[in-house]
Amino acid sequence: MSGPALRVLVVVGCVALVGCQKPIMPGDPLRNLNQAERATFDSGRVTFDEVFTPETGLGPLFNSASCGECHEDPASGGTGDEVELHASAFHPPLCDPLVGEGGFVIQLHTTPALKTALGIDSEPFPPSATNRASRTTPVLFGRGLLDLVPDSVILSYADSADANGDGISGRPGRFLDGRLGRFGRKGIVPTLDEFNDGAYAAEMGITSPAVPTEETVGGKPIPAGVDPVPEPEIPQLTLDRTNAFVRFLAPPTPLKANKTAKRGRQLFGDIGCAACHIPTLTTGPSPVVALNRQVFEAYTDLLLHDMGPDLADICLGETNPAEFRTEPLVGLRVKTNFMHDGRDTTIDAAIRSHGGEAARARDGFLQLSAEEQAAVVAFLKTL
Amino acid sequence: MSAYPALILLLLSLVQPRIPAASYEGTVQALKAHPPAVDVVTGVGFALRLIHVSTVPATVVDSAGTTIPMAHIQRGDYVRVDCSASTTGLVADHIAKLEPRGSKAAP
Repeated sequence: MSGPALRVLVVVGCVALVGCQKPIMPGDPLRNLNQAERATFDSGRVTFDEVFTPETGLGPLFNSASCGECHEDPASGGTGDEVELHASAFHPPLCDPLVGEGGFVIQLHTTPALKTALGIDSEPFPPSATNRASRTTPVLFGRGLLDLVPDSVILSYADSADANGDGISGRPGRFLDGRLGRFGRKGIVPTLDEFNDGAYAAEMGITSPAVPTEETVGGKPIPAGVDPVPEPEIPQLTLDRTNAFVRFLAPPTPLKANKTAKRGRQLFGDIGCAACHIPTLTTGPSPVVALNRQVFEAYTDLLLHDMGPDLADICLGETNPAEFRTEPLVGLRVKTNFMHDGRDTTIDAAIRSHGGEAARARDGFLQLSAEEQAAVVAFLKTL
Repeated sequence: MSAYPALILLLLSLVQPRIPAASYEGTVQALKAHPPAVDVVTGVGFALRLIHVSTVPATVVDSAGTTIPMAHIQRGDYVRVDCSASTTGLVADHIAKLEPRGSKAAP
């Protein structure tokens, strides 16, 4: 082979290699992290998977002993089969998160010491609750990108009065202080770090500099001697590492779409699913190159939508019982239970469960032929 | 007769040593009259906490820098409470009614 021909072959080979990057698998980090960021991601995976015991701060009320116990499938940061219990009291227009009775997250486990002291296996269900909810484990892939979508972008999709008459009237969720919420099924948590910091306390009973006090037991103080580990039970460094791990978890590369899935993607838009499950969003500025102004597949508008009375459960903040934040569909292929409470075991059933503002899109799905419906599902299984 | 307990509480609040303790920002969950107190929900993410703070006649209440009566604070308001610690718990030195921080300019 001549010299010029060899050079052309090498160039073509290099282009082919760059154009065919190895797909990002569930649990992989974002591409283009620098060495320090990658090291933080790796150390964060260790803290994410750290299993706590009562001797290291677990409980005395808890849902799980580590982040990775719930977010485990198919890799750390994924989903899991745990279903937890939430409750609140809705007295329109006010929502009571029942903090005086232990809060809206009802921990389903107790440490042996608390069980000995009070004879309970879980937190008492708040007597003032008017509503209860089941919650499945969300996947965390790509959440660092969602964290950086500017408020202005999210608000640009809001249409609280349905001015355009499409039957969809998304509005932003809000935290206590009025900041725009984007995490949690009720869309009340403004930032990813706050979501993680709160989860250490609410899900594992682990206090930290961000949440330095233990939760009460149904509103009553923890009995003396039950939780001997001094507060905070983990340092800021642990939070920082876990936050970095979650922030740098990449959205997995969608599976290669065959002809049917490509047709399904088209139909997904045609019948109106993409009006709320917006396919791509763009992050704002970030000092982290891998997060800076990135266009990424999101399949959410991060807004609250009324999903109808059949799906309604608890209120939270300003979010009414029937309102839910549009679930990001990234990583959908690793889920085995669908909707916020895991009521459906197939994607087809989950689409049929949609109501309220999603009724028009659901009806559009129902009017498709069986082959077309299968195509939509095939597309969603690539995500 | 019913004025005596309140008077005693007032006197106690004046004579007890109070140490500046903390500031809390959150949503007013309840306003209690006897004894006077405010419950504020604060927290991070899903980890919410209830802060119970007594109010005394010396508690300063304002909104945007203008003094307002305590009666103008309502359930659901977003407030900052600057507290001191006393032997009977937290006592409010200053309650500021705040505007929510997030942009409400959504369409």
